[in-house]
Amino acid sequence: MIDAQSSMVEITHLEKRFGAEIAVEDFNLSVGKGEFVTLLGPSGCGKTTTLRSIAGLEKLDAGEIRIGQNIVVSADKNIFLDPELREIGMVFQSYAVWPHMTVFDNVAYGLRVRGTKASDLKKKTTYALELVGLDHLADRFATKLSGGQQQRVALARAICYEPNVILFDEPLSNLDAKLREQMRDEIVKLQKEVGITSIFVTHDQSEALVMSDRIVVMDKAVIQQIGDPKSIYSNPVNSFVANFIGVANLFQGKLIGVEGTECQIEINFGNALATKKLLSTGGDNLNLGQQVFLSVRPEDIKLSTKKSTGNVEANCIEGIVLDTVYLGNFLECRVKIGSHEMIVQIDHFEQLDKGQTVYVSFLPQHGLTLPN
Amino acid sequence: MAQAIAPVEPVQTWRRFLTQETIVTVIVGLIVAVAVILPLITLVVSSFLVLDDLGFDTEWGLENYILLYTDRVIPKAIFNTFIISSGTMILATFLGVSLAWINARTNCPWADYLEPYNLIPFFLSPFVGAIAWHNLASPRIGLLNVWYRDFFGAEGYLLNVDNLWGVIWVTGLFFTPLVYLFVIGSLRRMDPSLEDSARTTGAGLLRTTLTITLPLVTPAILSGAIIVFVTSAGEFGVPFKLAAPYGWETLTTQIFTKAVGDDANHYLGATMSMVLGVITVILIWVQRVYIAPRSYTTVTGKGFRPNVLDLGKWKWVAFGFNLSYIFVAVVLPIFCLFIVSLHPVWTAEIIPSDMSMNNYVKTLFWWREDSIRAATDGIINSFILAFSGASIAMVLALVVSYMIHRTKGFGSKVLDILCVIPIGFPGIVLAMGVLVTYIQTPIYATLWILLLGYITRFFPYGQRNIASIMLAISEELDQSSRMSGATWFTTLRRITIPLLKPGIFAGWVLLFVIFLRELSISIILYSTGTETISVGVYYLANFENEALTSALSMTQTVVLLICIYIFRRVAGKEALSA
Amino acid sequence: MNTEDKNYLVVDQLVKWFGSDRAVNGISFSIEKGSFLTLLGPSGCGKTTTLMSIAGLHAIDAGEIRVGDTIYTSREKKIFLPPEKRDIGMVFQSYAIWPHMTVKQNVAYPLEIRKLHADEIDERVNKVLELVGLSEMAEKLATQLSGGQQQRTALARAIVSNPRLLLFDEPLSNLDLKLREQMRVELKRIQNEVGITSIYVTHDQSEALVMSDEIIVMSKGRIEQRDPPLAVYSKPVNEYVSQFIGVANLLKGKVLSEAESGKGKVDISTSITGLSCDCLLSSEMKKGDEVVVSVRPENVSVSRDNTDSSGIEGKVNAAIFMGNCVDCRITSGSYEWKVLTHPRENLNEGDRVFLHLDPEHTLAVTP
Repeated sequence: MIDAQSSMVEITHLEKRFGAEIAVEDFNLSVGKGEFVTLLGPSGCGKTTTLRSIAGLEKLDAGEIRIGQNIVVSADKNIFLDPELREIGMVFQSYAVWPHMTVFDNVAYGLRVRGTKASDLKKKTTYALELVGLDHLADRFATKLSGGQQQRVALARAICYEPNVILFDEPLSNLDAKLREQMRDEIVKLQKEVGITSIFVTHDQSEALVMSDRIVVMDKAVIQQIGDPKSIYSNPVNSFVANFIGVANLFQGKLIGVEGTECQIEINFGNALATKKLLSTGGDNLNLGQQVFLSVRPEDIKLSTKKSTGNVEANCIEGIVLDTVYLGNFLECRVKIGSHEMIVQIDHFEQLDKGQTVYVSFLPQHGLTLPN
Repeated sequence: MAQAIAPVEPVQTWRRFLTQETIVTVIVGLIVAVAVILPLITLVVSSFLVLDDLGFDTEWGLENYILLYTDRVIPKAIFNTFIISSGTMILATFLGVSLAWINARTNCPWADYLEPYNLIPFFLSPFVGAIAWHNLASPRIGLLNVWYRDFFGAEGYLLNVDNLWGVIWVTGLFFTPLVYLFVIGSLRRMDPSLEDSARTTGAGLLRTTLTITLPLVTPAILSGAIIVFVTSAGEFGVPFKLAAPYGWETLTTQIFTKAVGDDANHYLGATMSMVLGVITVILIWVQRVYIAPRSYTTVTGKGFRPNVLDLGKWKWVAFGFNLSYIFVAVVLPIFCLFIVSLHPVWTAEIIPSDMSMNNYVKTLFWWREDSIRAATDGIINSFILAFSGASIAMVLALVVSYMIHRTKGFGSKVLDILCVIPIGFPGIVLAMGVLVTYIQTPIYATLWILLLGYITRFFPYGQRNIASIMLAISEELDQSSRMSGATWFTTLRRITIPLLKPGIFAGWVLLFVIFLRELSISIILYSTGTETISVGVYYLANFENEALTSALSMTQTVVLLICIYIFRRVAGKEALSA
Repeated sequence: MNTEDKNYLVVDQLVKWFGSDRAVNGISFSIEKGSFLTLLGPSGCGKTTTLMSIAGLHAIDAGEIRVGDTIYTSREKKIFLPPEKRDIGMVFQSYAIWPHMTVKQNVAYPLEIRKLHADEIDERVNKVLELVGLSEMAEKLATQLSGGQQQRTALARAIVSNPRLLLFDEPLSNLDLKLREQMRVELKRIQNEVGITSIYVTHDQSEALVMSDEIIVMSKGRIEQRDPPLAVYSKPVNEYVSQFIGVANLLKGKVLSEAESGKGKVDISTSITGLSCDCLLSSEMKKGDEVVVSVRPENVSVSRDNTDSSGIEGKVNAAIFMGNCVDCRITSGSYEWKVLTHPRENLNEGDRVFLHLDPEHTLAVTP
C-alpha cells in the first residue's frame, strides 16, 4: 500500500528501554509522503516514546530511523543526529509556545535559525499565520492567547519552515471538548492543504478515527494492529483492539464449528439459556474447541420486543433491560443476559422500561470471532 | 438512619459580622497594621526633626537631609554602600546562576548530595563569616597569609579582606543561595518542551540556551540580583567587621555609629535610614511590579524531568567548581573558627600544645564566676527570643495568611501590602523605626522591644511559608468541612491547620534560625542585660579577643547547623524554595 | 405527593452581583424531593453561583432560598444561615479530599461533627463505603487514591450524614474521558439508591442528558429552559438551547402557514432556494413570524435515489468515520447539513444523495 520509494519516514526494529522496563519493542513502520499516521494506545503503551525517538529527544537501544534521505539514527551504525538536524516539526501537548516572544517571532524562529532572507521570512511566516488564522495577532505576546490560539501558534511554528515530517504529541488533550473537536478538524484540513507528512500521538480513539489515514494501535510496548480507520474498527485483530477502539460487546466462548465464512461459538450466559450457540465470522485461523471472543458493535445489534425470525433467528437472545441512557444522538440500552451485559445502540427513540424483556439479535456477518 | 440537625434559629444579618471568623481576623489584622505602620511613620517624622547643639530640644527642618550631602563621612558611606551592593550582586549572581545551572541541568556527579550544602550559607550569620574570613585573610594575622609566608618564604601577604573587596567577597559568598534558590526553581519548573521545541525547530544546543533558556530564566535572575543588592545594602555585620575599622564606612555602620552611644542622634540616624529605606522600596517595587509578573515558569500537567545536559569530561570541572564554593563558603570559615577558638589568644599560629576548651567554658557556662555575661546572657536571651518570637510570629502569620488568601475584602489587600513592606526592609532601618517609636515607653531596654522588632521585621517570612501551601491547597477543602457541618473554628482546628502543619513548622524553624543569628535589629535595640548571641559576638570582638569571639561564633554556628538539619528533615527540599 | 414534597427546595427570585456583573439575574425554580436536577450552561452562565448561594458559601443580593420550612437565606427577611447549619452534602470539582486523613476519617468527619456515638459512626461509614465500592480502601490515605476513587470518597463523605440536599459542582470534569463516562452511571446509581435530593452543576451536555431527572439550561444568569433530558434535546424552546445541547442544523425561516395540532410550514428559502418544510410549531408562533428551523443530524435520513421526489438534493462534502456512526457534511444550495449516518450505509465523499426530513423531528424554535 505504501510505496517504499516515496516513504518519508521509515522505522525498523526500533527498541527502547528505560532501565529494565521495555518501552517500545520491535517497532516497524513506514510512513508515506503526505500521509497522516496516528499512534494510538493507552498511556504507557510506548507511543510517546516512539514519537520522541523519531524527534531525537530519546536515544534508541536498537533499530534504525530514516527521515527523507537521511538515516537520522541507527543503533548498529552508531549514528545519532541531533533533533535540530532532522528537519522535523513538532507540536507538544503543553503548546510550548515561548512566552518571551511575540506570535510572529515564535513562528519565524525556525526560519531565523535557518538564516532565511528577511523578505522570505516575512512572507513565509505571514503565510503560516494565515493558514492557522492568526495573522491578525502576529504582534501579540504568546502568553496573552487562549489555549486554542497557543496551539495554533505551535502548529504554525512547526510547519513554517516546511519540514519533512511533523510530529504531534497529544496536542489536543489540554483543550476542552468543543475546542478539541474544532482544532481536530482544523489540523486535518491544514494537513491535507499543505500535504505534509504527519505522525500523531493520541490516546483518544475518536481523534484517531477521524483524523488518520492509517492508525497504529499499540499496547504494552508492541504494535497490535496497523490499518486504516475503517478496517481497524470493523476488523480488529484481537480483543484489545476491539475494546479500545469504539465500544465492543465481548463474550467469551468456545469455537465449535466453522463453515465457510461463518463459524459457531458456544457461550455460557449463566442463566436459563445456559449455553447459546451463536453464528459469527472470522474464525478461519482458529482451531475448533479453542476459547475465543465474540465481538459485536452496539450499533450492529437490533433490539426488539418480539422474538425475531428469519436470518437472524440463530443469533437472537432474550434479555432484560437494565437501563437506558439518552446520549443525545442516540439511546444506549444496557441489556442483561444472564450474568452478562450487552450494550445496544438505538438510533431512534423507543420507550423501554426497566426490567422489560427484550430480544437482541445481530447478523452473523456483524459478529467477529477473535482469538482469546 | 436520618439524624437531622436540630432546626436552628436564623441569624440576623447584623450579627453575621460578629462571627468567630471576623472577630479573630479583624483583631489580628489591626495588630499587624499598627506594628508595621507605626515605626515607619515615626521614622519618616523623626527624619525631619533636627537636634539642637545641646542635644536636648528638637525643631522641624531639613538639616538632617542636608547633612547627607555635606557631612564629612556620610556621602562617602553612601558611595561605599553602593559599591558593596553592586559588587555583591555581581558576585552572588555569577555564583548563584552557575551553581543552579550545574545542579539543575547538567549531569554533574553527586549533585543531589551537594545541593543542601550550597544552601547552608543562607542560614548562617554573615557577621560570623566576616570574623572567620578576617582570621583567614587579614594581612597580618590571616591564617592563609601566614601559611603563604611560611611555605613560600615570601614577604607581605597574599590576600587582604580588610577592605571593600573583602566585604564584597564575604557577603557575595553568603548571599549566593538567594540567587541560587530563585534560579534553580525557575530552571526546574520550566516545561522541557519549551526547549525541545526549539531543538526540533532546528536550533542547536547553544542557540537554544541563548535564545530560549536564558531569556526564560532572566526574570528569576533579576529578582535574585535585586534581592541581593537590597539585602547587602542593609547588611551591617560584615562591613562593621571588615570595612569600618579600616576607614571604609557604609550607611549601616554610620547609622549604628550615629544612633548608639552617648552622643546618639536618633534623628540623623532616622534620616540615613530613610535613604536606605527609599532605595529598598524602589527596588522591591521594581522587582514586584516589573520582574516577578514576567516570571515565565509554566506549570505542565506531565511531570517531566528537566532536560539534562551531558557535560562529558567537563562534568568534573563543574563538580570541582561546586565543591570549591562549599569549601570557601562553609568548610574553610568553620574550620578557621574552630582552630582559633581553641587557642587562649590567637597569634596567627597553630600551637597544638596551647589548645583547650577554655574559651567555650567562659562563653557557655553561665553559672561560673569567670563566665562573660554578654556571651552567656546573649545565648539565653537569644533562645528566649527565638522560641517565643517564632511562635508568636507563626500565629500571626497563620491568621494573616488566612485573611489574605481566604477572605476577599478590602482589608485583605491592605494586609497583603503590609506584609510585603517589611520583607525587603533592612533590619537596621526597621530597628531605627522601632527605637524612635518606643524609646519613651517602658518596653525600651527590655527583651520586649527586641521581640517586637524581630516579629515585625520577619513575620512575613513565616507568612510566605504558610501562604505558599495555602495557595496550593484548594479552598474547597475548607468549604467541604463547612458543608459537613463544622463551624469556622472547628474547620480551622481540624482541617486548615493540620493541612498547613508542614508549612507552619518549616516557617517556625526558619524564623527560629533567623532570630538566633539576628544582628542588625539587636545591635540597635539591645541594652545591658538584653544582649543576644550576635550582640555577644560583637561585644567579644570589640572588647575581648579573637579567640573568645570565635568560640561564641562557633557555638552559634553549631546550633544553626543543627536547626538546618532539623529543618531539612521536617520540611524537605520543597519548603526552601518558598 | 403533597405540595411540600413537590416544592422541596425553593429558589425564589435569586439575584447575585459580582461587582457590576449580574451573575444571577432573578431566577426561580423548585425541586421535587428525591429528584436529580442539573443546572447546565457555559461558564459564566451563573450555574455555579446559584449552587454556591444554595450552599451558603456566599451571600446573595436579593431573593430567598428555602428547603422545607427552613429558610436558608433571604435578603428581605435578613436571614443568612451559615453553611454548616444548612445540612447539605457537597461534592467539589477538585474532590476536596483532606489529604491528612484516611478515607475512613474523611467519611467519618461529618458524623463526628454531629457528635454521633463511635459505634454508629463506624457502622454508617462502613455502610456508605460499601455503597461507593471503597470498603477495601478504608485505611488508605486520600493521597494514595486515584482520581476516581477520590471522587467516590468525596461522594461518600457528602452522603454519610444523610443530608437534606446533595450539591455537585462539576465533579467529573477533572477525570479523564473513559473514567468520566463510567462515573456518571455510578453517581446516578448511588443517588438513586440513597434518594437524596440533588442539584448537579455542569457545562457538559452529555453528562446532563445521561444523569438528570430534569435539566435547567441557563445562560447569562437566566433560565432558558427547564425540562426532562429527552425534552430538552428533542424539543428545545429556542435557538440557544438547540445549539447548546447537542448539534443541530439551524436554518433561518419564516412561518408560511399554521396547521392544526402544532404543525405548520416554514419557508427556509433564504438558506436553500425555493425550499419550505413541514415542522412542529410552538403555540405562540403565527404566520409571518421569524423562526429558526432546527433538525438534529441523526434525524436527517439519506437515500441514494429520489423515489418520491420529496428529497433535498445534496452532495457529500466530507464523510468522517467515527466508528459507530459516520459524520457527513452534505451541501445543498448554500447550506451545509450535518448528518449522522450508520456506517453500513457507506457514504463517501463526492456522492450525490437525497435528504429527507421527518416532520415529527423538525422543529421551529424562536431565534
